[in-house]
Formats: sequence, structure tokens, C-alpha cells
Amino acid sequence: MIERSEADLPKRAPRSIQLDGREMAFQAGETILEVAQRAGVEIPTLCHDPRLEPAGACRTCLVEVEGQRRLLPACKTPAQDGAEVRTETERVDRHRKTLFALYLTDHPQDPEVAERGAPNQLLEMAARYEAPRDWGFMESLRDNRDADRNPYIHFNADTCISCARCTRYCEEVEGVSAISLAGRGAETTIATADNLSLLDTTCEMCGGCVDVCPTGAMGEKMPLTREAKPERELTKVRSTCNFCGVGCQLDLNVDPDGNDGRGEVVKVTSPPAGTTTNDGNLCVKGRFAYDFIHHEDRITSPLVRNEAGELVPTSWENALSVAAAGLHGVSDRHGANALGFVSSSRCTMEENYLVQKLSRAVFKTNNIHQCAAT
Amino acid sequence: MTNSIGEIRNADFLFVIGSNTSEAHPIIAMEMKRAVRRGATMVVADPRKIWMSTIAEKHLQLKPGCDVWLLNAMAHVICEEGLVDEAFVAENTEGFEAVRETVKRYSPEAAEEHTGISAEDIRWVARKYATTEKAGIYYTLGITEHTHGTDNVYALANLVLMTGHLGKPSSGMNPLRGQNNVQGANDAGATPIFLPGYQRVDDPEAHARYEEAWGTTFPSEPGLNLNVMMKEVGKSIKGLFVMGEDVVLSEPNCMELEKGMNAAEFVVVQDAFFNETCRFADVVFPASVFAEKEGVFTNSERRVQRVRKAVEPPGEAREDWRILIDLANASGADWSFDSPAEVYDELARDADKFSGISHARLDATVELPKTGLQWPCPSPEHPGTTFLHEEGILRGKGLFQAVDYRPPAELPDEDYGLLLSTGRTLYHYNCATQTRRESGLDAKQSEAWVEMHPRDAKKRGIEDRDLVEISTRRGSIQVRALYSRQVQPRCIWMPLHFFEARANVITNDAGDPVTDTAEYKVCAAEVRKVEEGEVREGLFPGTFYGVDAPA
Repeated sequence: MIERSEADLPKRAPRSIQLDGREMAFQAGETILEVAQRAGVEIPTLCHDPRLEPAGACRTCLVEVEGQRRLLPACKTPAQDGAEVRTETERVDRHRKTLFALYLTDHPQDPEVAERGAPNQLLEMAARYEAPRDWGFMESLRDNRDADRNPYIHFNADTCISCARCTRYCEEVEGVSAISLAGRGAETTIATADNLSLLDTTCEMCGGCVDVCPTGAMGEKMPLTREAKPERELTKVRSTCNFCGVGCQLDLNVDPDGNDGRGEVVKVTSPPAGTTTNDGNLCVKGRFAYDFIHHEDRITSPLVRNEAGELVPTSWENALSVAAAGLHGVSDRHGANALGFVSSSRCTMEENYLVQKLSRAVFKTNNIHQCAAT
Repeated sequence: MTNSIGEIRNADFLFVIGSNTSEAHPIIAMEMKRAVRRGATMVVADPRKIWMSTIAEKHLQLKPGCDVWLLNAMAHVICEEGLVDEAFVAENTEGFEAVRETVKRYSPEAAEEHTGISAEDIRWVARKYATTEKAGIYYTLGITEHTHGTDNVYALANLVLMTGHLGKPSSGMNPLRGQNNVQGANDAGATPIFLPGYQRVDDPEAHARYEEAWGTTFPSEPGLNLNVMMKEVGKSIKGLFVMGEDVVLSEPNCMELEKGMNAAEFVVVQDAFFNETCRFADVVFPASVFAEKEGVFTNSERRVQRVRKAVEPPGEAREDWRILIDLANASGADWSFDSPAEVYDELARDADKFSGISHARLDATVELPKTGLQWPCPSPEHPGTTFLHEEGILRGKGLFQAVDYRPPAELPDEDYGLLLSTGRTLYHYNCATQTRRESGLDAKQSEAWVEMHPRDAKKRGIEDRDLVEISTRRGSIQVRALYSRQVQPRCIWMPLHFFEARANVITNDAGDPVTDTAEYKVCAAEVRKVEEGEVREGLFPGTFYGVDAPA
């Protein structure tokens, strides 16, 4: 969905709809769902994403519009002046119960099985709207892609509901169309060309499909293979990505008990669309490249070069005094401008401030720079 | 960036030059893709075919290093066809006449000979840029990593000023920053010329204010910038403190730097990983990664955003800010910061641009439509600044700079017949200290390669995937050759991420006369076969599928 700024819209007389009896003004082009979201009226959705063109695929958001014989999808129906829209009626409720009950007939209901790490919005909605769970059960007919050796993205066809949010994201936002719908009816599945591994397709591993999937059918492989706790048991810490200069916001999902209580980042997820500069999008590095944090190659002790010329572990106190004496020694022998300080555009603004203050105020030289020169 | 990332999707014309956006800034690329999907026109100027050029209206595949020819010729067309925004130029700028005179010498026909781009295309792009209201320029290191990098930027700025594409949403001049906090590092004063907030160290008033604030004296002559400093290591620079950068891997012509490092008397390295530079260290401080500390990063669009501590550092590793305070105090200072928030407050106290921002205020923005605050933000009530130069140009008048074409420092010749450029890929990041410790990224790109046009390869008896040696006047490295039509004939390209095939052993350290930024994008090289290669099944080291599949 293209974000519309007010300036881009033609100026017209104000228009409004009646939403559950409440008068709501709307802008030309707004859908019933968008008006409802602004009004704080909840309409359940599964296939909807504000970054994508509305698909009207999942039928979860159907509402009653006065004068219309059939229920209409709120995500795809433009608001029209004077329309009377009802989102909570006996008929809408009956529709939702029926819909979720049908979805559940080929959907595992045991959260242990259905929730492969990520929360399953279908199960949550089915519970919220008290959908019947006894309409029988059949195994999913959708094809899996178990042989896909890509390292990040796992497709669990059993929990797929063919809402096409992942395939539309792949086409409309990431623009690579690596996955698409294939098959017909109950066999409809998410496929790659010639059933290739995502590694061998146009996929750039942005993981947007994982992010948008409402049921966790598109899941992250690594937390699964490492048997990390399910997402709802993790603590989310909002931070800024440490790779390029876009400044994507991301949520570090931390298992507080991991790493002997030091905490372990077991997953990275993106904030909701529309709330950050990255609009809920991340790239392969932001979403998946967090192994370095807990890598065994991390330096875990201060090191000082001994007389034999080897770097050996030492105490902080010793390392700091050797460093201070060494830098002062160079300055004493050759003058302050014989020292150079290289700061880092990977470190925080505060740390860069401290390095330049260290260089200038303590060691009396303006020889301070970082890789912004390159 | 004079605009914000969120404005890209509403642009009607995007001129992307020297930016492999989908690989180096994938999320900004998504915004550009969204604009194109909406109906915007995108033009990509790049010597290589890149992902973005496949969806561009036009791809100007110019010869490397000819940017000034292209840009001045565009300016020529804009002047010649009366497309200059004369009112904007009169009101907001100075120095236009010199540019108008200079660009007369750059006709599109002459530019065609130098750049390889047809005069017709140059005219079309110039017209389209000048006549589209929401037209933005986006560039990165393909513009700046040249000995004429500053000239390239001036030539772009001339286009912006003469068309008045400034001070408006989706319309401006947008360098995309390469590192998470390259903006913030400069903002904080980690530069030889500027104190925090771009106050010149040789400005007596600013210098005196900082001496008073810090209660000490320090010199007011600007120091050495990084490229010069690295050339002086072991010579006039005898002692070095390096935080969070693997200089030995990332500086150009790095074998010279290694000699210098060996000759240095004392080296301190502060890093989370034992990198190449640590080999020369006398002391190594174990530092932290972003997930282990508090602070702020400032992104490309000047947005200051919070970094938050999620986990504890391993072993005895400490947060970098703590180490710096400890080192200052061990060296005779008396610093008493208890948290990064306090450090930020001191920084903001003396630098107006940031003084309306604090950790507490940033923490309160999490629920806002957009997280973080964009400087300038001079007071706690100020909402921040989405795009610059809205109420007139910041420095008073926009200054035109007439520039002439200067060739790169080293071009192919009889001994070294190919033109080498280096760059980034989507799957790795800079020295790849972090990304090569990630199994998944390694599965996608596990080894270095050089992209060669099949014609150049065959001429040298090189088959696709053979192991080859690339040499320049500075050294040689071995990598796998990849037949590619992404590169032009007589040009080769390789990624810079792989320590076992260090591109910077062979790159040229000749610097731009103003910034000293090195010419990573152009040098003369030759390639010869070392041994036959085998095609590893499934491993696809190339950057995007389709264009560069083996011939």
C-alpha cells in the first residue's frame, strides 16, 4: 500500500461513514479497514499488511455494509460517503466462527506443533472469537520444501493458510519474487521456481516472509534448530542495527537465562510496519547476522605483549596502566602529535565523543579520525 | 542526506549514481523500489550492471572515473535548454556564472566520447531531472572514493542548485552513509578539524569554549586525517590508539601500512574481536558489540536513535565507553561519567544542533509514528528536522563550484591492462569481522571472487571459476575468477570483505586533494591464471542472479 501524504490528495469536501454508529471522516482512497484502524475499532486481519496492496484473500476482515447483500472485505473496500458499516453483528460473528473453524480443519491446533517459535495469530483469533474446534481434521495437502538447504528460512506447510502475504511481500516490497503461490485449492502452497532451494533463487534472504507470516508457517530455521525458547518467552529489546547507515530499528529477542545468565540473543525481529524508518523491513544482515555477538572468537580478557613478544592475558588494571604509560611515553619522547587516535563509526556517538576528548583533552592532539574518511 | 528516508517513496525522479543501493543499503533500496512501483522514474549511473539498474528506466553505464564528464554535460544541457531555476539561483546561490562558463566546454557529444554514454541519453536524463518537481539525487562511495571525489560531489551539488531541487520533500542531495554511525562519529567530533557539532577546532571562539568546558588546554591546529595518519604511521606517528576498526585490513595499499605498524613504538587496540590490527598491538582491550551497551547511533538522515543493552559482554570484556573513561583516568584525567546518558548530555551541552535531544527524550519516542529525532534539534521542544534547507540554504547562500574533469590517479596501461574497482556485497559487511562469523552468510558467499568480462578472461586463457592472481603496482592477491557481464570489458570488480584475498593489498592509496579519501574505485590491474577451478555445486558467489550467470 502506498503511503499517502495529505498534500498528495485532491482537496474535496469532507466525507464520512457511519462506523458502528459512529461518524468517521475519511480521505479519498481510504479503505474501511484504514478508517477503522484510525478509529481504534478492531477488525481482525490475517493477510493484510499496510506495506502491501490489499488482497482480500483471507476473508477474516469481512464486515456488513448497509445495502450490500454480501459481507465485504474491509481491507479492500474503499470507504464511500454515507456508508453504514457494522463490524460487530451476529452475522459477522457467525462468519468469523465459521471461517476460523474451517481454517482449523487442516491446521495443527496443538500450540507446541503450530507455534514453531513464532506466535500463531490464527490460533489466537480462533480462541478470541470462540470458533468451534470440532469440525473434523485432515492432514494438510500442501507440499513442504524440506530439502531446501538455505540456512535461514524454514517453510512449514502444515500451518500455511495461503494468505499470500509472504509472496506479495517478496514481490511488492523486496521486489525479487523468489517465492510464489503454486497449486490449486487445498493443495495451494508457497513454492520456488522448480522447487529450488532459496539459496539458488533470486531470494536475498531479507526474511520479510518470516516477518509477515501470521501463522509462523514461514519460520526462522536457526532458533528452531538450536531449540531456542518460543518467541513469547523471550524479552524484546528495541535497538538500532549495527551494520549500514540506514539505522533500521530492530528488536533483539533475548533469552535472559542464556549464556549462564548473561543473556543470549536468539533471534532478531522487526518492529511493526509504519513505526520506524525501516517501516518494519530488515535485510539479511539485520535480521539474521547476530551470531557474532556470542561468537567464541570474542576477546574475553585484556592482553599485553610480554618480553617474548607474545600477547598474554592480564588484569584490567595492568592493561590500562601499560597503555597509559605507553601512550604518554611516545608523547614525552616525540611530542603529542606523534600520537594518532582512530575512533570508530561502528561505535556509539558517546564513545566517539569520549575518544576525541581523550585525544584532545588528555593527550593534547587533534590527530583523531575514523573511517568516515573512506 | 538533505531529505529523509521516508521521503524516497514519494519521489518522482531518482538519480542514483555510484550507489549499489540494493546491496549496500537494502532498506533504502526497498523505498526506491516502492517509488518505481508507484510510477517514479529511476536512472542509475554506474559502471557495473547492478540489481537497481534492472528496474531503472535508463542505466548509464559510464566508464569508471568519468563522473565529472557526465555531470557537467547534464549541467550543460540544463543551461543550454533554459531549464535553470533562475529565481532560485538568484535568491539562494552564488558563483553560478563560473559554472555556466565551465560547463559550456562539456557538450553531451564530447561527454559521449569520454563516458561511453550517448549524448541523447545525457540530454534525456538532464531534462527529466531538471523538469521533475520531486527529483532526488542519491549517491555513495562510487562518487567519493576517487582522487576527484570532492569534484564529483561539487558537480552533483551544482545540478541540485541550478535546478532548485533543495529544501523540499523528496527533492535534494542524499549521500547514503555506509556505517551505522558514521554520521554520529562525525557529529561527535571524532575528526581532526571539527569539535562536536562541526565547530572548527581552529575557530578561536569554539576552541576557547571547549578549553573552558573541559578545564584544560589543547592545540587549535587541525590534526591529520585518517588517510594521511595511516601513511605517517611508523614515520611521524609513533603511537596509535585504534578503537573498533581493522585499519590494516581496510586502509588502501595496506602492505605499506603493515610496515609502518611494525615501525610504530606503541599500539593500543580496542576491539570485540582479535582482528588483523591486533597483530601489531602492545595492548589489546576486549570491547563490546552493540547489543551489550547503551548509547545512540545517528543514521544517514541525521536521525539520532537509541542503542540499548540486551546482554552482558563475555568474560572480562567491557563496554567501550567504560574502557575509554578508565583509560582517561589511568592517563591522569579525572572523568566521572556514570552512564552514556551523562556523556551524551555533556556532548549536547556544547553543541547546539543536538542539545534538544537526550536519552530520556529518545526513549519517549518509541511510541511515536517514527522513532528517534533528526538533528538539527536545538531545544527540548523542537520536533527535529526532516529535511534541510527549507527556510533558505543553511550557510546563507548555496555556493556553486565550477569543476573540471581530472582523470583518476592511475589508469590501465600496457603493463596493467584492466581497470579494477572494489565494492561491497549484500551478504557481508566491510572487514566481515562480524558477517563471516555467521554460518548462513558464509553459505551464500564463502570466498572472494573477481568479476571479469568473458572476453578479457578468454584473452588471458582464464576459464570461469579458475583461481587467478590479480596484481597492481602495489601487490598481488589470489581469488576465483567469475565470468560476468555485470562489468564492462576491460573493467574488473571484486568485493572488499575477504581477509584471505585482501583487496586493499592492491588498491591505490592516492587521495582526494581535499578529503584525502583514497581511490578505492579505480586502479590499474592485471590478471593471470594460477590453476584450474572447479565449479562448486550450488555455491553462487555472484551478486545477483541472471545477469552474471556464466557465459
